[in-house]
Amino acid sequence: MHIDWFVFLAQIFNFLLLMYLLKRFLYGRIIKAMDDREAKIAARFAEAEELKAKAGEAAEHYEKRNQLLNEKKEQMLNEATMAADAKRKELMEKVRAEVDQVKTRWQDMLIREQDAFFYDLRQRAAKQLYATARKALSDLADVDLEERIVDEFLRRVQELDEEKSVSIRKAISGGGNRVTIQSAFDIPVPRQVKIEEVLKKQITDGFTIRYLLEPDIVSGIELRVNGHKIAWSLNEYLELLVESLTETLQKEAHAA
Amino acid sequence: MEVVSLNQISPDQVIIWSWMFITLNVTILYTWLVMAILVVGSWLITRNLSSEMNVSRWQHLLEVIISIIRGEISEMTKKGADHYVPLVGTLFLFICVSNVLVIVPGFVAPTSSITTTAALATCVFIAVPYYGISRNGIFHYVKEYFQPTFIFFPFHVMGELSRTLALTVRLFGNIMSHEKVIGILLAVTPFLFPVVMQILGLLIGVIQAYIFSILSMVYIASALSAEDEVHEEVKKEGSTA
Repeated sequence: MHIDWFVFLAQIFNFLLLMYLLKRFLYGRIIKAMDDREAKIAARFAEAEELKAKAGEAAEHYEKRNQLLNEKKEQMLNEATMAADAKRKELMEKVRAEVDQVKTRWQDMLIREQDAFFYDLRQRAAKQLYATARKALSDLADVDLEERIVDEFLRRVQELDEEKSVSIRKAISGGGNRVTIQSAFDIPVPRQVKIEEVLKKQITDGFTIRYLLEPDIVSGIELRVNGHKIAWSLNEYLELLVESLTETLQKEAHAA
Repeated sequence: MEVVSLNQISPDQVIIWSWMFITLNVTILYTWLVMAILVVGSWLITRNLSSEMNVSRWQHLLEVIISIIRGEISEMTKKGADHYVPLVGTLFLFICVSNVLVIVPGFVAPTSSITTTAALATCVFIAVPYYGISRNGIFHYVKEYFQPTFIFFPFHVMGELSRTLALTVRLFGNIMSHEKVIGILLAVTPFLFPVVMQILGLLIGVIQAYIFSILSMVYIASALSAEDEVHEEVKKEGSTA
């Protein structure tokens, strides 16, 4: 083995030169790039940590906010439920009142219809009763019903007590000495004369009588003078009939 | 035509040009070639370096190599690894590239020349006291040669010289012998077997590069660590006082 000292020195020089060149073109640059990258990564990690912390804070903030919203929602829901309940109760009350009102109206209407019905019934019944009684009296006793009515009227006039007579007398004199006699039928003149006689005898003299035909007076006759009245009609009997009939109908309605 | 004949034990003997004592032989020529490859390659790769996340493949390769070298140095010196990267890294890259290029027909590794290996070992021999003195001063460095007693001074000097010689001969012996073995095998069994040996040669070449650079770092680190121990003792004495 032979060592050429020139080559030996040249190789040392070459190596040192290579070391210098590589330091300049390789190590320095590469190490700087790596260090820069490490610094950037570290910065990014730091930034990421910061962002993570911020995100955590934001998440906590939104969590609290969400919780508050939930609580508020719950509260609003409760309030709405309570309001709805109150409204429901109010509406129920209103409906109940309306129903009561309708019911009352209906009952009033029913009563009115009932009254109308009974009025009609009374009228019909009176007519029928009047016709029947008249026929019966004429067939069996040969007596005119209308005459019997007038007789009954006259009997009542004759049976008036003193106090009543006085008050009627006053009424006649206060009412311009005019007396009105209403009847459901025409009173024949002889009977009119008889009535006048009885009145003059029983009550007073010096008045005029006016006769009116009034079909509404059910098979009866009445004397009217300044707020006082002497009368007889089938109405009294019919009232009893209606009362009895109403009682019966109500009992049947309750039973149904 | 063979660049180096079997009779020529070293590429130093293949003289291309000569004038007086100035000689241009194959060793220097191929050394320049390796240097050119390394420098031009480094320049090409590092001219557009990126410190972003997306980097080129070549930059990745260089970064991996440099990272490994830095890591190895850090394990020994504990701190200031970047200071030793140019010497150790250049030793490794130069020897490694020289040894790997053997695969190219006609190329003769400069490391198969004892002159080259001696030059490299001499650089390490000079670098050890250079780093030691530059860090802790000449007094502490020289003092180490007389530890534990002055009698050990010649042994320390012999140790320094012998490990330099060992570095020289280990690398030279491995690479030169491998080339000669390949040459002989080509003459004896020209098919297949030399290919296997070439592959083995690549492995040996990389391992030798690693061994040379690591041993260099070990020598430097031993000088540094000895100095560090002295410093630590001084610090301890100061703190106890």
